[in-house]
Amino acid sequence: MNSKQSHREKDRRVLVIGAIILVGIGLLLAGLWYVQVTTAIVYIKDQKTQSMRTVRIPAVRGSILDIHGRPLAQDKPTFVINAYLEELRHHFRAEWRNSKTEQKLNKTESGQLEIAVRHRVVSRFTEKLKLTQSIDVTPKQLQAHFSEKRALPLAVINNLSQTNIARFAENSWKVPGMELEVMPKRYYPSLSVAHIVGHLRRKTHNDNGVFQYNYHLPDFEGKLGAEKTFDQYLSGQPGTRAVQVNNMGYRQVESMPVTPTPGSNVFLTLDRSIQEHAMKALEKGLNISGSKAGAVIVMRVDSGDITAMVSAPVFDPNQFTPGISHSLWNHYLTNRPSALLFRATQERYPPGSIFKIISGLAALENGLNPTEHIQCQGSYRIGRRIINCTANPGLYDFKRAFKHSCNSYFIHHALSQEHGVKHIIKMGKQFHLGKRTGLLPEQETAGQFPSLNDISRGWSDGDTANISFGQGPVSVTPLQMALMTATVANGGTFYHPRIIDRITHSDTKRTKSSINFPQSTIRSQLLVRPENLDILREAMHADVADPEGTGHAAHIEGYNICGKTGTATIRGGRKTTWFTSFAPYKQPNYAVVVMVENGVSGGKTCAPIAKEIYEALISRDKQTSITEN
Amino acid sequence: MKFISQLIPWNRLDKTLLIALAGLMTFGVLFIYSASYNNDLFLSLSTIRQPFIKQPIFYAIGIGIAFIICLKDYNILSRWAYVFYWLNILMLILVLIPGIGTMRNGARRWFDLGPADFQPSEMAKVAFILAMAQFLSRPRGELSDPKVLFRGICIALLPFGLILLEPDLGSSLMILPAGLAMMYIAGAPARFVQKLIVGFILILVLALTYVFFIPANWKPIELPDHQKRRLMVYFNVDYAKQYAGTNATKAEIRQARAMQRKDSYNVEQAMISVGSGGLTGKGWKKGIQNTYGFIPQGVANNDFIFSVIAEESGFAGSTMVIVLYGAILITGLRTANKCRDRLGRIIATGVITMLFCHVFVNIGMNIRLVPVTGLPLPLLSAGGSSVICSLMALGLLINVRLYQKII
Repeated sequence: MNSKQSHREKDRRVLVIGAIILVGIGLLLAGLWYVQVTTAIVYIKDQKTQSMRTVRIPAVRGSILDIHGRPLAQDKPTFVINAYLEELRHHFRAEWRNSKTEQKLNKTESGQLEIAVRHRVVSRFTEKLKLTQSIDVTPKQLQAHFSEKRALPLAVINNLSQTNIARFAENSWKVPGMELEVMPKRYYPSLSVAHIVGHLRRKTHNDNGVFQYNYHLPDFEGKLGAEKTFDQYLSGQPGTRAVQVNNMGYRQVESMPVTPTPGSNVFLTLDRSIQEHAMKALEKGLNISGSKAGAVIVMRVDSGDITAMVSAPVFDPNQFTPGISHSLWNHYLTNRPSALLFRATQERYPPGSIFKIISGLAALENGLNPTEHIQCQGSYRIGRRIINCTANPGLYDFKRAFKHSCNSYFIHHALSQEHGVKHIIKMGKQFHLGKRTGLLPEQETAGQFPSLNDISRGWSDGDTANISFGQGPVSVTPLQMALMTATVANGGTFYHPRIIDRITHSDTKRTKSSINFPQSTIRSQLLVRPENLDILREAMHADVADPEGTGHAAHIEGYNICGKTGTATIRGGRKTTWFTSFAPYKQPNYAVVVMVENGVSGGKTCAPIAKEIYEALISRDKQTSITEN
Repeated sequence: MKFISQLIPWNRLDKTLLIALAGLMTFGVLFIYSASYNNDLFLSLSTIRQPFIKQPIFYAIGIGIAFIICLKDYNILSRWAYVFYWLNILMLILVLIPGIGTMRNGARRWFDLGPADFQPSEMAKVAFILAMAQFLSRPRGELSDPKVLFRGICIALLPFGLILLEPDLGSSLMILPAGLAMMYIAGAPARFVQKLIVGFILILVLALTYVFFIPANWKPIELPDHQKRRLMVYFNVDYAKQYAGTNATKAEIRQARAMQRKDSYNVEQAMISVGSGGLTGKGWKKGIQNTYGFIPQGVANNDFIFSVIAEESGFAGSTMVIVLYGAILITGLRTANKCRDRLGRIIATGVITMLFCHVFVNIGMNIRLVPVTGLPLPLLSAGGSSVICSLMALGLLINVRLYQKII
């Protein structure tokens, strides 16, 4: 081998080494290209999963307001102290070092010590704030939060009082990782609307949506009433907070890619002050008569708008947020009379004598001469059955019979007229008895009313007698009676009742998204002769205006209230007492229905309640006319 | 200055190499800063002990030593090669003795020198290159003699074995390809080199078979557990099968799986780091993997510095790093190619092979090309011994360039 050859050989060997190195570099570059460019998206995703936590932020819930914009349900700020764990972790570690003893701990022991240490650190710092409230979290809760939601702050003290807010402001510089934050809490200022407005419950999230959140901040959904029916409008659109966490799961940075959109406001037709007056008057009336349950409805006769609608007893919707205790809920469920029942629409009652508005009108339409006198013996005999009459024996024409609520008169006409009962049933149908009004879909009963078919078979004269004064197979809701009275008052137009006025977006610029619910939608027109309605109204006026009328307790001088009392007896000696009315006589505005379970009588228990409500309406209308002029 | 310029033939200095070195050092300081400025581990240390302050100091020391190395012709330096070699062998023995060597994470690799640690295996690599080159630079004819070749192999196996005992599998393995390449360049018979490579591969296969497929109770010796587990992570072997066996309880399987997750954690996080960097990266100091601690803070600035670079500067940045190393390697190859005397060629080959192996294994482990080993990325990883010894080796390369007799 000469030297030239050996040189060439050496060149070749350097080239081989060079080639190996180049292949190696090429391999690295190809590998990097594959990882960083071709499949980068996989790793970007992986990184997001391990370092990003999304939190669902509920929007501020819209308010429920009365017709004048007074709140019936709204979110109110409460103050909480939040502990930011990532700022406390160094203190956890220091405390851990101090509490470690010489002897080695096994796994469970050291785990327990860790829990105790964290709780001790948080408690010590909250003590330094010198508040009168103490820490709300147990070591167990702290541990649960620590292991599941480490990236989120932990609420250590809820519902801070005003003085404690001031103290926090004064002392907060002494402690790390504690901040004062605002939490909305649902607040219901008036209990009188509880059944209509409803209440909330804690929302459970079953992530079926498009977007999967890691965490949900506590959120509520409507469980009853308007809160439930209009939940989708009230709840708004939730926002998203993105929290970046480190390898230990502690929060590092956060941002809010989607801000929540506040919910819309729902305006009801109710007037909060009338509502509260009605509640007060009802409760007072219940107290006097020793009864426990009742309902009141105030309705505008010319539109079907509900001005007030109350039911007693009532529950407190504030107790349902943030959560109702088991014992309280059981109390609500088992206690009688039930506070959960909305008696204005959800329960049916025998109408008693107020049904004489229908049976009387049916008789008039069927050719009754209102001036013809009938002899009442103080009782009425059908076969072996004797029906007592509360009115004194004597001669009765239509008006007198109506204001004394003489049963015999109405029984006599129902039985003596040709097809008397048939006309009563037809008249009842005209007032849509036995059918739902559709006002509160989930809190309404249809009541009971026989059909023409029912009376064709197995129907006795006794049944006819019963129904003529509102007993027997007929039961109604106070709302149905209010609609009946309003229809008589306004001359025969049966309106759809209305309680929701409008839904408006909380951002006033976005008027497009507001919804108005039409007023005065007509359900039907009464097919009766107007002069018969006049006779009926005159009789109703006399019932209140005449001192011997059963409803005279509701009389207000100069306001001309027209009404009808009713006292229905139920098997077992229990009673349902009624007073249904409208006013003023010539230009009616309002229909007021008062129903009390187990009152003394319609005239004694219910009429005075109605009177108080009319007084409130009069003074309100005076004030509005003053401000309008 | 005139004195120095007379001493050293500066005109021969390769500008590309210097620019590449400067570029790497800039990368090093920038990303060590990014990896450690906001790091809990270093928060309590004084400014002077921060890795991003220490690193430029090490660069300066390394450059100083490289400069001194360049003062004398490599032919003169190599006369001291064996002395240097045996001195290093002595240090490798001393570091194994408890009380002299410092134990950390189950390995005894360091001398604790107060402000900094010294890792003798790093310098042993340089000493090995020099001694091996000196040994192989004998007349070519002698290299056909099996006895001579055997002695050459022994020169490689001595430091290899000692470093393996620390244990430091990664560093010790770097000796073998460097030795092989040097023998090849020195002119050892091709058939012999082939046999060596085949033997090397055979031993590797046998070793892996032994580790994975021989039942535990048949084995007289077992690989250190952490090494075995690293291999298992690399080959994606199911821990449950290896550790728990066929009739394992659920708890045992769960435990084995948990261990697997823990062991593969670093590689997985490094992959996420590199991959999520994408084409252009997230920007300097904006890497999440490192600042949020997903890449363990103890290794982010040294063994896993590449993952930080790749995440923050993307494929563009990683390519830049590889191009810089490539520039050094190619200038090194050119030096080896042009060199007329065998000593220079062998030294240059040794240095570039060693450098290449470090770069390949370190970057490769970030993208799962090679198993994880505790190996620094020369010049970029924080660490005094590695930086200084890398610069010493590169000093030797420059020395060859400066004093070689060109063909």
